[in-house]
Amino acid sequence: MFKGLFNVIVKEVKELVRDPTLLLGMIIVPLIIFPLMGFAVQTSMKAAEESMENISIAVMNLDKGTVAENLTNFLTTLGVTIVKIDDLNFTEAVNYVQQSNLTGLIVIPLNFTNNITGGLKAELDVYSVFRGGGIAESTSSSTISTLLKSFEESLVFQKIFEEIPEEDPQTVLNPIDMSEKSIVKGKSVNIHPSVLFGLMMSQSMGMPIGIMMLLIFAMQLAATSVASEKEEKTLETLLTLPINRLTILAGKLTGSIIVAVVGAIAYIVGFTYYMGSFMGIMPAETGVDLAAIGLAPTPISYLLLGASLFVSLISALALAISISVFAEDVKGAQALVGPLSMLLIFPMIFMMFTDIYALPFPLMIVLLAIPFTHPMLASKVAFTGDYLTAVIGIVYVSIFTIAVLYIAARLFGTEKILTAKLKFKGLRRRKRKPAE
Amino acid sequence: MLEASGVLELSLAIEATDVVKVFGSIHALDGLSFTVKHGEIFGLIGPNGAGKTTALRIISTLLKPTSGSVKVLGRDVVDEASEIRRLISYLPEEAGAYKNLSGYEYLEFMAKFTIEDKEMIRETVEVAAKISGLEERLKDKVKTYSKGMKRRLLVARALMTKPKLALLDEPTSGLDVLHSVHVRGIIKQYVEKEGVTVLLSSHNMLEVEHLCGKVALINKGKIVAEGSPAELEKKVNASNLEEVFAKVVGFV
Ligand SMILES: Nc1ncnc2c1ncn2[C@@H]1O[C@H](COP(=O)(O)OP(=O)(O)OP(=O)(O)O)[C@@H](O)[C@H]1O
Ligand SMILES: [Mg+2]
Repeated sequence: MFKGLFNVIVKEVKELVRDPTLLLGMIIVPLIIFPLMGFAVQTSMKAAEESMENISIAVMNLDKGTVAENLTNFLTTLGVTIVKIDDLNFTEAVNYVQQSNLTGLIVIPLNFTNNITGGLKAELDVYSVFRGGGIAESTSSSTISTLLKSFEESLVFQKIFEEIPEEDPQTVLNPIDMSEKSIVKGKSVNIHPSVLFGLMMSQSMGMPIGIMMLLIFAMQLAATSVASEKEEKTLETLLTLPINRLTILAGKLTGSIIVAVVGAIAYIVGFTYYMGSFMGIMPAETGVDLAAIGLAPTPISYLLLGASLFVSLISALALAISISVFAEDVKGAQALVGPLSMLLIFPMIFMMFTDIYALPFPLMIVLLAIPFTHPMLASKVAFTGDYLTAVIGIVYVSIFTIAVLYIAARLFGTEKILTAKLKFKGLRRRKRKPAE
Repeated sequence: MLEASGVLELSLAIEATDVVKVFGSIHALDGLSFTVKHGEIFGLIGPNGAGKTTALRIISTLLKPTSGSVKVLGRDVVDEASEIRRLISYLPEEAGAYKNLSGYEYLEFMAKFTIEDKEMIRETVEVAAKISGLEERLKDKVKTYSKGMKRRLLVARALMTKPKLALLDEPTSGLDVLHSVHVRGIIKQYVEKEGVTVLLSSHNMLEVEHLCGKVALINKGKIVAEGSPAELEKKVNASNLEEVFAKVVGFV
């Protein structure tokens, strides 16, 4: 029945891979844009780091007392460049700070020292200069407040030391030492929960995005491969060849899958590189042995994810092919298939930020009814160990796939695949008729 | 029984009886009947929109007749479509080739559906290369071809496998004079030497006069005149086919 299938697949792959616009999408976006984005993030973060190293602040000291003096000394010893502008009035000071590229301005008001030594609350005005609002600016502004906080802490320490000299100020200030650990699948593990959440986040963000991109890409390919047969007027010839129509359909599905998988790998490589550019800067995660705590994907979870992805891929392709039968050309097909990508983006967004079982019931039902939610759910199986949900999802998507495949096969088997297009043509001809 | 069907197959390549094809409110074919004998070059002529392409599409199993019956090489176009597809080759009126394949790759792709033997495939592609006259350009991608070059590739594709029945919808449209003559020569040669039967449509009366042993004039989905070019000319007292066309269609 599938005689000639290999011949069709080879042709499909050749046609798709040699399409210059498609190649552009497959190479430019993943292999050039992602690394470029990574590079941009990396350099701007480096710039932020550097600007943290050379912070320069203008200080307008109206107090002139000892504590005010201590404060400026404290900042200087921590490497901050201090510019004293006591002679200027406030308006002049603000102007000066803006123009001379300083990070900020600290105004120490009158009575600052008196208030602190007298046990009253003292005020301090801190201004950060807002220039463009990049990462570098926000980090250096938060650095100023961190530095001031640690000055404040040193005041507290001193006070404790004066009042209760026999005790450790550290212990007085933080009498409880909390040690945070996690419970995973019924076992306690000596890992801070935020580390685990971080790991899960990267997984639950990355997989749905990857799955969404793979499926959208594959759908565009399948739609293109059907519509270009019409646009290039090769379909009529193809349909009179001694080859089963189902073989043509299977060839188109397989060809699109092959190219989509290659495209997806390019995306994954590009995306990993992009993510890697963050990792270089973030503090390295404590070497957590996921396998030891049962969070590493098991062979079963890989198998389930693979199966779920496979059936979803087939259903997405069959759906795209069925719809593109009604288009006249490639542009039309892509316009028809475009809205389908909402079926992928919608679950992806929810999947990235929430647990869909925590959503309001109607919304949850809607999401679960969308077949493409299920491979994304299956991608969490390694963390949840909830194999049953994954299996139910696979069964559900399989039934959907069979239904869509049946429709696609019907469309391919009849003259609809030709006349769906011709109908538009017929309408247009009919409109022109009265003029004759 | 066996003998009868054998005789049928020997005598008739196409047998169309009372074929009607309706698209919405348009009657593209309105009781079309004609027969084509084996080894014949049969020409369908008629004004634009007469139903020539629709007839060829039904015979090539692409469309189903709304009513009436069509037998191709003794097989029914509706019930035995896949068997018919093994025996025919159809050249659509408006056709293209896969633009990202080279001419050679395209011919090879097409040849593989009817031929299994590797050596035979190579030979067939060589035959097609000769018919197309594209020579070195066959190595280039189809998208770099001119309209006529593409048509030559497609004509070669349709004839290279020496099908039992070739359905050619305006085979020489867009070809220059020399290549038209070349293609006509090949069609004639294939019919005389390789046992191919040809049903073609054309707007070139000179071509039909030279090539076709039998001609049917279609108008509004019906055959309005039929016979050899000489018979038709005699019947309506015209000196060539163009005049026949004008007189017959003009009167209807
Ligand atoms: N898919 C379709 N939908 C609606 N009408 C159609 C369709 N295909 C053909 N027709 C109509 O059927 C009639 C016959 O068309 P056909 O293409 O068979 O003519 P033709 O003889 O090949 O004309 P031409 O010389 O212009 O090629 C026309 O009126 C045409 O508008
Ligand atoms: Mg026509």
